[in-house]
Amino acid sequence: MEEKTWVRMVTAQTPTNIAVIKYWGKRDETLILPVNDSISVTLDPAHLCTTTTVAVSPSFDQDRMWLNGKEFSLSGGRYQNCLREIRARACDVQDEEKGIKIAKKDWEKLNVHVASYNNFPTAAGLASSAAGFACLVFALAKLMNAKEDNSELSAIARQGSGSACRSLFGGFVKWNMGKAEDGSDSLAVQLVDEKHWDELVIIIAVVSSRQKETSSTTGMRDSVETSLLLEHRAKEVVPKRTKQMEEAIKNRDFGSFAQLACADSNQFHAVCLDTCPPIFYMNDTSHRIISCVEKWNRSEESPQVAYTFDAGPNAVLIAHNRKAATQLLQKLLFCFPPNSDADLDSYVIGDKSILKDAGIEDMKDVEALSPPPEIKNAERSKGEVSYFICTKPGRGPVLLADESQALLHPETGLPK
Amino acid sequence: MAEKTWVRMVTAQTPTNIAVIKYWGKRDETLILPVNDSISVTLDPAHLCTITTVAVSPSFDQDRMWLNGKEISLSGGRYQNCLREIRARACEVEDKEKGIKIAKNDWEKLHVHVASYNNFPTAAGLASSAAGFACLVFALAKLMKAKEDNCELSAIARQGSGSACRSLFGGFVKWIMGKAEDGSDSLAVQLVDEKHWDELVIIIAVVSSRQKETSSTTGMRDSVETSLLLQHRAKEVVPKRIKQMEEAIKNRDFGSFAQLTCADSNQFHAVCLDTCPPIFYMNDTSHRIISCVEKWNCSEGTPQVAYTFDAGPNAVLIAHNRKAATQLIQKLLFCFPPSSDADLNSYVIGDKSILKDAGIEDIMDVEALPPPPEIKGCPEMQRRCELFHLYETW
Repeated sequence: MEEKTWVRMVTAQTPTNIAVIKYWGKRDETLILPVNDSISVTLDPAHLCTTTTVAVSPSFDQDRMWLNGKEFSLSGGRYQNCLREIRARACDVQDEEKGIKIAKKDWEKLNVHVASYNNFPTAAGLASSAAGFACLVFALAKLMNAKEDNSELSAIARQGSGSACRSLFGGFVKWNMGKAEDGSDSLAVQLVDEKHWDELVIIIAVVSSRQKETSSTTGMRDSVETSLLLEHRAKEVVPKRTKQMEEAIKNRDFGSFAQLACADSNQFHAVCLDTCPPIFYMNDTSHRIISCVEKWNRSEESPQVAYTFDAGPNAVLIAHNRKAATQLLQKLLFCFPPNSDADLDSYVIGDKSILKDAGIEDMKDVEALSPPPEIKNAERSKGEVSYFICTKPGRGPVLLADESQALLHPETGLPK
Repeated sequence: MAEKTWVRMVTAQTPTNIAVIKYWGKRDETLILPVNDSISVTLDPAHLCTITTVAVSPSFDQDRMWLNGKEISLSGGRYQNCLREIRARACEVEDKEKGIKIAKNDWEKLHVHVASYNNFPTAAGLASSAAGFACLVFALAKLMKAKEDNCELSAIARQGSGSACRSLFGGFVKWIMGKAEDGSDSLAVQLVDEKHWDELVIIIAVVSSRQKETSSTTGMRDSVETSLLLQHRAKEVVPKRIKQMEEAIKNRDFGSFAQLTCADSNQFHAVCLDTCPPIFYMNDTSHRIISCVEKWNCSEGTPQVAYTFDAGPNAVLIAHNRKAATQLIQKLLFCFPPSSDADLNSYVIGDKSILKDAGIEDIMDVEALPPPPEIKGCPEMQRRCELFHLYETW
């Protein structure tokens, strides 16, 4: 009698993260081991996340993957690393209800289907590969009943994409660079959870850019090979900053947090500029945003907003509290109003309650905004920002039990 | 009988200069002593220069100065430094023809009038203070018959504006940082004269900018105080680069020259970015120019053009030779055409023979330029009207 085929499926959701002490430069390209520690804040997955369904079935004749509905190859080294490492840790699985029994040694003969979806555009430069690899690893670990904790899983996600390791936790996370040659101690740990400093509000300005960005992988390799400032940064500057940042986060010391986050973002971009050929991730709009924030911070007794930029022109602005976020949004909408034909509802997305607090309900309110007093001759640069996302620090990966959220069909294991 | 009054006058012309190994950061603000050596190329004064007339007369009742026709105060520390230092070195002057006799100790009682004129706009960010202070010091030295040579004069010009010391020579010049506390050994020396490497052609792209730039003085002070990368640059990177650059210039090794020049410009701007608050001198247009040059250099195998940027968005492009300069001007005019109402004659100024060699006589020739092959298919390298004008010089 032919065995009825079965499909075992798991769906997970992971957040993305933004580094406040930056990772830029590897000491090992294959294992993805960094030249310094890094610290990040995890963003609320309600606004930015990756959802991944992984399925296993004896009826699958090869590993396959779909990303945002389009099939991609899993043959690349990074995917192979993750698959191999999780498979090596797979354990017995028994699901009596569905009549599924998988022995530890069966896993190497079984193939998986993976479907992944980002609720934010890849083109927006919002670190989709961090969330993506973290989700892949987390979901596979649950599928294969691996016993490893999130720190151990982060060491595997790291081999898919370095910054992915930091998406295995919520709140503030540190990626310990590690010392071991095999990278077994290069992993993420949670510093504090998302509730520790929950008054922080994060506003992301997605900056219009026609440029094709230099990929992080290529860029940081060029930096390691050609920047004469990078090693000094990695050996002398970052170790001290990492300690200071951990203190600032622990003590909810926003002044120090902001000074460190801004300084480290700028130094990362300085190293990019010190590379051959030079890498320019920030553009004039990015600079204008920085100028706007710097002027406001200086006009207040203590900094109200921290800024940080990754490998692209988008600004991630972290406001001290809701009041600061509301004022920030008003200043940003004054300086960077939408094009006249834009719809406010798609210009400020995510948590729209900040917009409400700012008293802005429609385009007329945007037009009526007053210039920030601290900026002389403030200009309104229409259309330079594509849109804003309002969010906050968020939680780590979770499983989604609701089958309706699965991206693969429970019977065919193919994308829905 | 009242003595008939007299006026003794001297007029001098000095060039400006562009650093290829940058000066950024002082170890002494009053004496203007730098944290590292720097090397510059002097630009042809035919295109960019300062002309200064200095005059002395017993009828002058105070020191006065006019800059580009407008009277300005000489009371600032930097002007006072220069005046004091030259006056201390003034010697006897005798002009029998005019019946002028000035004894050494007369000088401290005499006042001077200074009129200075730049043949390029101050707003263009083309280092007018370097040329200006160099000219003032040089002219005063001649007026007061100081015996000092140009090196010693450079140590005085340095106290007006650091980079001014390098405008006391042509060709390639090095400002030695010195060790002495009193700055007596912090001065400029000529590495080679302007004939040594005369095939080089320099094209300056004056970039449209609405921004008011952070002043160099403020900027470099903020960098010294807040950049954690600056000391490493000054102590570890620049000393090696200075040696390599001197070799490259001596040997006319353009490949090394270009690599060092571009790297040092970028590192200077990196330190500016690493400052609190961060300083952005280059803008998107500057970046596009760099991208244009980097792509061409990469496609040729050996660099054809070096770029360097000072404390502003203007690009100083140094081409290997006339042929490279001709190709460069074609690529630049393709990527950065003038706006339709512009006049080619005021869009490319200075030495217009390069334009001729490039076969460009009017705006229609500019419009007809083909895209550089190395940037085909690059959506961001579109034609944009972003430059103010181009200077060609050497």
